[in-house]
Amino acid sequence: MAADTGMPILVVDDYKTMIRIIRNLLKQLGFEDVDEAADGKEALGKLKEKKYGLVISDWNMEPMTGYELLREVRADPDLAKTPFIMVTAESKTENVVAAKKAGVNNYIVKPFNAATLKNKIDAVFAPAA
Amino acid sequence: MAFSLDKAELESELRKIADYIVTLKREIAVLQANEIHTQTIPGAGEDLIAVVTSTEGATNEIMAIAENVLSADASDPVAYKNFVDKEMMALFETCAFQDLTGQRISRVVKTLENIESRVSRFASYTGVQDASGYASDKEADDAKRRERLLLNGPALADDGNKQNDIDRLLASHRGE
Repeated sequence: MAADTGMPILVVDDYKTMIRIIRNLLKQLGFEDVDEAADGKEALGKLKEKKYGLVISDWNMEPMTGYELLREVRADPDLAKTPFIMVTAESKTENVVAAKKAGVNNYIVKPFNAATLKNKIDAVFAPAA
Repeated sequence: MAFSLDKAELESELRKIADYIVTLKREIAVLQANEIHTQTIPGAGEDLIAVVTSTEGATNEIMAIAENVLSADASDPVAYKNFVDKEMMALFETCAFQDLTGQRISRVVKTLENIESRVSRFASYTGVQDASGYASDKEADDAKRRERLLLNGPALADDGNKQNDIDRLLASHRGE
C-alpha cells in the first residue's frame, strides 16, 4: 500500500527553516496537506484536535522533545497507531534503539535528501512482509 | 597537638602567605575575569547569534529562489530562461553569506582559545583541582535532562551512525 498523498501530515520541528524544507520536499512528493508544530507539546495538542496520517518529528526540542512526543503518542489509545517518523541529527545508537523501543516507524538522520524521505515514507506504508 | 613558632618563623610564614596572595592577585588580574564576563563572552555570543541569523536568512532566500523556479511558468522558453538566469544570479549573491559567517566563527574560536589559555595558566599556577558536580542547579538540571532524554546533539564527522547504519539498527531491533 503506497502512502495516501491526501492524508494530513504533521511536521514537528523548532526550526522554521527545517519545516519549510520538509514541507517543500513533501510537496514535491505530492503531499499538500501539511501542518506544523514547534515542539512536542504543541504537536500533541494538534494531534488531539485532528487525525493525522503521519507525524514527522525532530528529536531535540523544548519544552517537549520528539522522543517524549513519541512516547505520549504511543501511550494514548486514540493516537497509538499514528505512523511516526523521527527526522533528527541524533545519530547515536542509543537514540535509534530508544526510538525503536518507543515505537518509532522509521528514523531519518539529518542532513537527508528527498529520496531518503520518500523511501522512508514508502517503507512505513508498505505492506508488512 | 601543641606546636609553637618563634617570632622569626612566624614572620617568615606570614611573608610567604602575603607573597602568595600578591601573586595570586596578579594571576587573577591576568585572568581578566571581568573582561571575560562583560565583554569577551557576550561578544562571542553576539557573533554566534549573527551566524545563526545570517545562515537562516540565506537559507530562506535560497529556498525562496528554489520555490520561485519550481513554480515558474515555463510555457515561454525564452522568458523562462531569462527568469531562471536572474534567479541563479541571486543564488550566487546569497551564498556570499559564508564569507562573513566563516570570519565570525574564526573570531569565536580564537576567543575560546584565549579563555582556555588564561584559565589553564591560572589553574596550573594555583594548583586547583576540578570540583565534582555542577556549578549551579540549572547546570545540573540541564545535564540530567540531556541524559534522560538522550539529547546528544549532532555528531562530528566520522562519529555517530550514517543512514545505512540506522536502517540496519532498526531492522535488527524489529519486533522489540
